[in-house]
Amino acid sequence: MRAIPTLKISISGVRGVVGQSLTPSLLTRFAQAFGTHTGSGTIVIGRDPRTSGEMVKHAVVAGILSTGNRVIDIGVCPVPTVQLQVRHRRAQGGIAITASHNPAEWNALKFIGPSGLFLNAGQARELLDIYHQGEYTKVGGADLRTVEEIEGATDLHIKSILDVLGPLPPTKKKLRVVLDSCNGAGSIVGPKLIEALGAEVIRLNTTPDGSFPRPAEPLPENLGDLCHLVKEHHADIGFAQDMDADRLAIVSEQGEAIGEDYTLVLAALYVLGHEKGAVVANLSTTSAVADVAKKFDCPVFLTKIGEVNVTDTMQQQNAVIGGEGNGGVIYPRINFARDSLVGIALVLHLLAESGKSVTELLNTVPRYYIVKEKIACPSDRIAGVLRTVRQEFGNFPLDTRDGVKVMLPDAWLLVRGSNTEPIVRVVAEAKSEAHARKLVNDFIARLR
Amino acid sequence: MKPLKIGITGVRGIVGETFTPELAVEFAESFGTYLDRGRILVCRDTRPSGPMIRSAVLAGLLAAGCEVIDLGVCPTPSMQLAVKSLKADGGIAITAGHNPWQWNALKFVRSDGLYLNPTQGEELLDIFHQGEFAKASWNEIKQVIQTDDAIEQHINMLLQSFAVETIRAKRLTVAVDCCNGACSFLSPKWLAKLGCEVLAVNDNPSAPFPHAPEPKPETMAQLRAVVKAGRAVIGFAHDADGERLGIVSDLGEPLSEELTLAIAADIRLRRKVGVIVTNVSTSSAVDVIAARYGGSVVRTPVGQAYISEGLSEHNGVLGGEGSGGITVPEVHLTHDSAAAIGLILEHLAETGERISDLVTQLPRLTILKHNVVVEPHRLYSVMQEFRAAVEEDGLEVDSTDGIKVTMPAGWVHVRASNTESMIRIIVEASEKSEAQELLDWARDRIRI
Repeated sequence: MRAIPTLKISISGVRGVVGQSLTPSLLTRFAQAFGTHTGSGTIVIGRDPRTSGEMVKHAVVAGILSTGNRVIDIGVCPVPTVQLQVRHRRAQGGIAITASHNPAEWNALKFIGPSGLFLNAGQARELLDIYHQGEYTKVGGADLRTVEEIEGATDLHIKSILDVLGPLPPTKKKLRVVLDSCNGAGSIVGPKLIEALGAEVIRLNTTPDGSFPRPAEPLPENLGDLCHLVKEHHADIGFAQDMDADRLAIVSEQGEAIGEDYTLVLAALYVLGHEKGAVVANLSTTSAVADVAKKFDCPVFLTKIGEVNVTDTMQQQNAVIGGEGNGGVIYPRINFARDSLVGIALVLHLLAESGKSVTELLNTVPRYYIVKEKIACPSDRIAGVLRTVRQEFGNFPLDTRDGVKVMLPDAWLLVRGSNTEPIVRVVAEAKSEAHARKLVNDFIARLR
Repeated sequence: MKPLKIGITGVRGIVGETFTPELAVEFAESFGTYLDRGRILVCRDTRPSGPMIRSAVLAGLLAAGCEVIDLGVCPTPSMQLAVKSLKADGGIAITAGHNPWQWNALKFVRSDGLYLNPTQGEELLDIFHQGEFAKASWNEIKQVIQTDDAIEQHINMLLQSFAVETIRAKRLTVAVDCCNGACSFLSPKWLAKLGCEVLAVNDNPSAPFPHAPEPKPETMAQLRAVVKAGRAVIGFAHDADGERLGIVSDLGEPLSEELTLAIAADIRLRRKVGVIVTNVSTSSAVDVIAARYGGSVVRTPVGQAYISEGLSEHNGVLGGEGSGGITVPEVHLTHDSAAAIGLILEHLAETGERISDLVTQLPRLTILKHNVVVEPHRLYSVMQEFRAAVEEDGLEVDSTDGIKVTMPAGWVHVRASNTESMIRIIVEASEKSEAQELLDWARDRIRI
């Protein structure tokens, strides 16, 4: 088997390992390509607190400036804050410097268009073409602009949330929240938002220093400390963010990680209770989202995996809420982006308004269990794996828009190649954890 | 022909054409690799491409694992002093010195605050061409440290090197043209510390260069007017980064840049007899002055690194070049226009002599300079053909740097430029007509 590559250039952006493949010249060239693609104007940049963030930032700034664009540097902040700033400033685009859930040695560039949305597949292909052609806009002399460092971008983010949702309605007792920011980009703004909403916050991992106190993905197995603190402090809820604060996971008042799929479920419960409209999620999202939509008599649309696919469909369907099963909540009235801060605000509003606990709220919706596994798989074998799925499950309805999704009675199984790593993801959902686990394990066993 | 020069003195070119951000990134990576990571200072002058090149350089140095201290906009000699006081391993000055504003360049300084010598410059180029650079992993990579006290430290060093009280007592009126360059932050402050009444023009570092950043009589019209109107005892003209110095006399006469060294040598040798180090292309006025006081002159190839090495080897009392760069060894062994100002004002204060009187005592020779643009690949053969022609005439060749020929009426020096693709001809004679004859003689022997 070939060596696993440490660099991934795709329509999701460029992603690589610092000290190996992700060199400053590569980053500069990508920034030049992006500056060439956007045309001249303003480009907003922000980054998560990874140790390599400053190196990557300077490489990007040099590349953008050389194309004649102005740079607004909003510093260390959540990815959705960059997206909000792009829209707010009517900028030509933005670059978020973050490898989101990847480990500490990775970093990446994610490219944002003028609407604050990530580049869609077509736009990203144009960017890649420019990058590969290697002919970038070059300006000199008085056409060169400078970089401005701006503070307060996260305050604007909080204000945008409060402007739409307002502070929490009065409750008998102030809500008590434990927040685990993974020492990531949400470390400063997360606690500020919770206090601004009118809840009490207990902080866990809120020093944005690029250290990874736990794996960045807010999966149940990574949230032991958070579960413990929620119980110890008798908190009403625990929130876990990832490194770039786009994804959000929830721990119930009983100290149980409810699974990041249920973040969107709870957010949808609140939003649909106030406003009817379409709900958009991806193929890998729990069926509970569809059940909630049905309860409010609203349509559901499932898309291919990838934030931009969800946001594109949300725009087409004029959706009121959307997101992904990985804990990404998109609420277009505030921000057309996966936004953990928006997720926190929606779920706290739900708790305050309903007066119910997280467990009580979950009992009002069907409970499914999702099991996710990944197996290393070189790219040339992915097609073979998918063929196996189609053969094995030929008798069931299949959705092949993104990998293969098998619709089983009372369950589903999804197998797809990752966009960001040389792996195959195997996801199953069923009414019991044992059933979902069996679906995943059986399939992996058949592959070997 | 594209203007880009990669050589042992660094890399230099026009931004927006050949001097790209990638090139700056890769040279910074090369330098970081050459110094085996370590602590590296960065400074820049005020060109519009400064912020872009700065970001590229910071990215390259960080990626190589360097500890980077950014001094911001600051004269090159201030950075060179700081390299020593901060015990750094080296420095990069982002400045094209006297080149027009569309240009920029990287100049490399080693741990003793002096430029890389030719051998070291070759080694750096080898690393650049090999393209294999040191790469810091995520847990080795560092953050940039910003500091802005290098200029303050430079002034403190200067205050210890001259008879400050004597100068202060005279309350001299001094005009200065900072060319809106890096000296805008240094020179007016330094002059104020010397108790001078300062008439500063073009001391706004955020404004464009008001004229070519080359202190020559052609660029000193404004300074001349200020000297006359303000009845200043002297006027000083800076280049963009604080190396070269031009002088306007108390009568408002703009002096040839060749006279800066002659004046400094005359002042210096009156107090301290010793060796003056200059390059082969500089006026022989300095030989006449040295003979007058019983001193001697050592000639080196053109370039600061050679002057520094010559001073150190011969324990010289002063170094300088016909371009207006002056080295006062008590301050440091590199060109420093602020140190030259201290030397000259000290003399004016101690003796009460007027600069115009001093100038009348200097030997007046005529220097003529002429550039011949040559295709880069022809530079060497044109020089070889010139040498053959000279030897055919039965004349003796001094090949310290290029070809220098001494004749009864004066001398002729022909060399390939280090920074541009051209051949420079410099001739000197007592009378202008003789100088013109020497120039014609040389031009007839250069066949492009």
